[in-house]
Amino acid sequence: MQPQLKSKVRCADRDVGEVTKVIMDPLSFEVSHIVVSMNGASERQVPMGAVQTVMDDLVQLRSSSSEVLALPPFKRDDYVTLHEIEVPGLEKHIDVTPGEVLVPLPELERNVKRRKFFANLTYVMGLFIGLPLVYPVLKYVMKPMFAPFDNQWQKIGNVGKIKADDTGTQFEFKHKVKEAYLPEAEIEKNVWIVKATPAVLEKVYQGKDMEFRDATGKTLWTNKKDIPFIAFSGKCPHLGCGYKWRKHKVLGPVFLCPCHVSIYDASGKVIEGPAPRPLDVLPIQVTESGEVQIIDMEFKAGTRVQSRMV
Amino acid sequence: MSQTPSAGTQLTVAEKVFDFVDERVGLRLLTAKMLNEAVPGGSRWAYVFGSILLFIFIMQAVTGVLLMLYYVPTADHAYASTQYILHDVDYGWFLLSYHFWGSTAMVVCVFAHMSQVFLWGAYKKPRELIWLVGLLLFALVMGFGFTGYLLPWDQRAYWATTVGVEIMDKTPLIGDFLARLLKGGATPGQMTLSRFFVIHVMVLPAALIGLAGLHLFLFRCAGPGGPFRGTPQELKAKTDYFFPRQIWKDVVGMAVVFASICAMAFWEPVVLLEEATPDPGDYHPEPEWYFLFLFQHLRLKMFSGEFGQFLGAIAFPSLLGALLIALPFIDRSPERNIFKRPIALTLWVLFMVSILIFTVSAIINREFLD
Amino acid sequence: MNDQMSPTKLGLGILWPAFWTGLPIKLAIAVLFLAFGIIHLETRIALAFLMLLTSPVTVFALPTITMGLDSHIGEGVGIALLFLLAIPIDIWALGVAGRTFFLERLRREPPDGLGLTLWWKCALVGAIFVPILWVAESATTDFSISVAQSIFETGFLEGTPVPERISIELTLWGTVATGVLLLLFGIGFSLVGRVIRGTVQSARHAPENYEGLITRWDLMRVPADQGLLLTALSGVAVVLSLLFWSALPVFTPHPHDCCKKEEVKAVPAFKPLETLNKDEKMIAQLAARVELLVEQRAKAELEKERSKEKGNTGKEEVKVPEATEPAPPAAMKP
Repeated sequence: MQPQLKSKVRCADRDVGEVTKVIMDPLSFEVSHIVVSMNGASERQVPMGAVQTVMDDLVQLRSSSSEVLALPPFKRDDYVTLHEIEVPGLEKHIDVTPGEVLVPLPELERNVKRRKFFANLTYVMGLFIGLPLVYPVLKYVMKPMFAPFDNQWQKIGNVGKIKADDTGTQFEFKHKVKEAYLPEAEIEKNVWIVKATPAVLEKVYQGKDMEFRDATGKTLWTNKKDIPFIAFSGKCPHLGCGYKWRKHKVLGPVFLCPCHVSIYDASGKVIEGPAPRPLDVLPIQVTESGEVQIIDMEFKAGTRVQSRMV
Repeated sequence: MSQTPSAGTQLTVAEKVFDFVDERVGLRLLTAKMLNEAVPGGSRWAYVFGSILLFIFIMQAVTGVLLMLYYVPTADHAYASTQYILHDVDYGWFLLSYHFWGSTAMVVCVFAHMSQVFLWGAYKKPRELIWLVGLLLFALVMGFGFTGYLLPWDQRAYWATTVGVEIMDKTPLIGDFLARLLKGGATPGQMTLSRFFVIHVMVLPAALIGLAGLHLFLFRCAGPGGPFRGTPQELKAKTDYFFPRQIWKDVVGMAVVFASICAMAFWEPVVLLEEATPDPGDYHPEPEWYFLFLFQHLRLKMFSGEFGQFLGAIAFPSLLGALLIALPFIDRSPERNIFKRPIALTLWVLFMVSILIFTVSAIINREFLD
Repeated sequence: MNDQMSPTKLGLGILWPAFWTGLPIKLAIAVLFLAFGIIHLETRIALAFLMLLTSPVTVFALPTITMGLDSHIGEGVGIALLFLLAIPIDIWALGVAGRTFFLERLRREPPDGLGLTLWWKCALVGAIFVPILWVAESATTDFSISVAQSIFETGFLEGTPVPERISIELTLWGTVATGVLLLLFGIGFSLVGRVIRGTVQSARHAPENYEGLITRWDLMRVPADQGLLLTALSGVAVVLSLLFWSALPVFTPHPHDCCKKEEVKAVPAFKPLETLNKDEKMIAQLAARVELLVEQRAKAELEKERSKEKGNTGKEEVKVPEATEPAPPAAMKP
């Protein structure tokens, strides 16, 4: 039978107090000591070897009370409770339920400074493993993120298709792309062409030729302010939807984006809705026979200032 | 010792967050129970292999996810996308080579870990269940190696899979079904690639995470075995907690393994052969090195013919597996000291030596093929 | 206690932990050198690893083996540099392992400068013994291989199939070679143990009980200024990572035939001296040509003058030198 907490402790000569704590040996799972409170005064740690018999509420010691008193006082800091340490299977060997059951704190764990040192050293070693990978992994992930722009002229059709001035006409074309390891493929895209009257032309160019530059700043092409054909990228500058040329009940014929109802006039200017900037004008070439070529550009949606993405 | 900050000092934000969570889920008790497990006889460098395996698995998962950013498991693009990773994506060759050598490191460490458990007698009561789950984990690691090998879809991949699946086909009764199940048809092709891919990146990782969790849980229930000799006084003096000293040793072990894998990636980066076709050309099919001993012993005369093949390819490996499963139930003596278990020691040495001999034989055998 | 420890046990007990203690640091340096491409290991990478692991004893033996015995583990200055850097690391590692061993196993007070003492003793033994081991082991292996092969060349075993023959031969010579190797290792560790036994015997017995010794040994591993060491180590991690990043090749160093990068980017390397010489030559040539032309023109002028003097007869001849007007800019492309 194991000594019970709160049971009386009787020495050979007299009662000395009661059991306040039980100390277990974590290797043998046996009770190794009891802690006896000397009638409310200081506590003594009594080895089980000094215990003669254990009864329900009484622990009989072999030694005399003076011998128990002569033991060194109990040092609480040398022990930890079962809430602070994992000893697999120990709970199954304890009969006592209430109060504190203690196990010795290992000698090597008593110095907090040392514990801290090894803990911090672990983090530093982690740095040796993690840090070398940061840059290569970042570059690996970034590989396709900033592809160079494709500045090839795309043939998109003939202006003969345009029926009236200052109205949007959709031109569909196939853009050749070579993506990573896939074979070259064609994707279908569209732009809107407007044959503009001088008034609309003035609204678009505001009296200045429009220059387009490549990533290095070299001029790719200049849209002359008096050429009446204007090409708009098919991507709504609000959040990138595809817009249409529609007849609005109040505003008449306009470019209308079905996603968030951004409305632009024939010059691409925002008349209504959430779009932050006018439609994006693309570089355009029209031959004498009316064949149209554009450079296919896409710009980041949702920003006031244009910034090229494709 | 306890993590409660001393009174009077200002709590840091981290401490406040910790206290907030602790109040709700008992984090303090949980961390104490997780980290402050006394290791009998103290932390040791010899105990690092389990943690290293966990580390290698995590690194395989990380590099594997990164590879999947570019890799596609289709017969027409698997090879091209792997070559793209090697030749066009920044540092792709390094991550792929790391993943490749990581699998080798995994197999090496699994062997070390299992040998250690065997030699330390750590599979004995009350740790039988840890051993059994460990055997399943071993099978999963081998499965990872086998399925991952096909994915680059080059000649080496194609032929190793062809031969491997043929071996599986020799299982009595269910062999044909199993082989067709894996191949998704009669011969390796797109269906095989899809199946191997999904097994490699979904089925096996999920199974491994679950079983590794169970393995750790069972380990925590039984507690570490500790050394098999030493006086109680010595054991007590050296005893410390799992955290921080064992963890610090584990992390140094991980750094060593990390550096070794990097070194192997530099020494022998992954180079693919030609794209997979059912015409081997000049290529002599051969599996990955850790399957070489199995491959080589099937060349012996005693394993020729239909019955011999069954013996070599199915019966012997199954018998070995069954022996390993039955081990903790056959060997019930509580003695853990390996120097007092002569049969166990002899068997282990014989097994390791025969693996070594057949692996080296397979390498020497290459000379006879040219 | 443990005064009667055998020299083999003593040698192994100190060398084994010392090998592993130094390895992580040496390995980090080795990886960096591999990334920089200043080490090219040959097929025997296991041997290279073993050499690095056992560098406290192989550090002086390696030059003997590579140069004297003409068998090497790889190419590049990195290997020599690595083994040079291994010296201070090994001294430190032997110090740590030695102090632990003295306190824990021998229960003696580790003397000052233990690492250095152990290191020069180990290195000395290694410098003499490892080449001997190398020669003896290679001779044994070669001899046992030839014996094993000759067994199979005798008549009655000639029909043995190739796989069986390979494995049996391997078992035969492998057993002999491994046996001899283990024996030689035993002798080596025993030699080291004998050499360092003096240091052990002159050391005082430690006064504390076992628990006290272990606590002292544990404390020994914690530096006086923790913050400084941790910061320094983090700094080293950052520096090593930066070096690693700068050295790591971006694309595979072994490209496949299918995907060799186009030669477009192969701008010829700019060699300042060569270019300068070439340009100088060209300038000299051009200068000579200009001089020639000036001379010709002068002549022509002269002739013109003369022909003017003579009348209109010489007009056709004058036009000839003008047609050879030089166009040097086109030739100036570097």
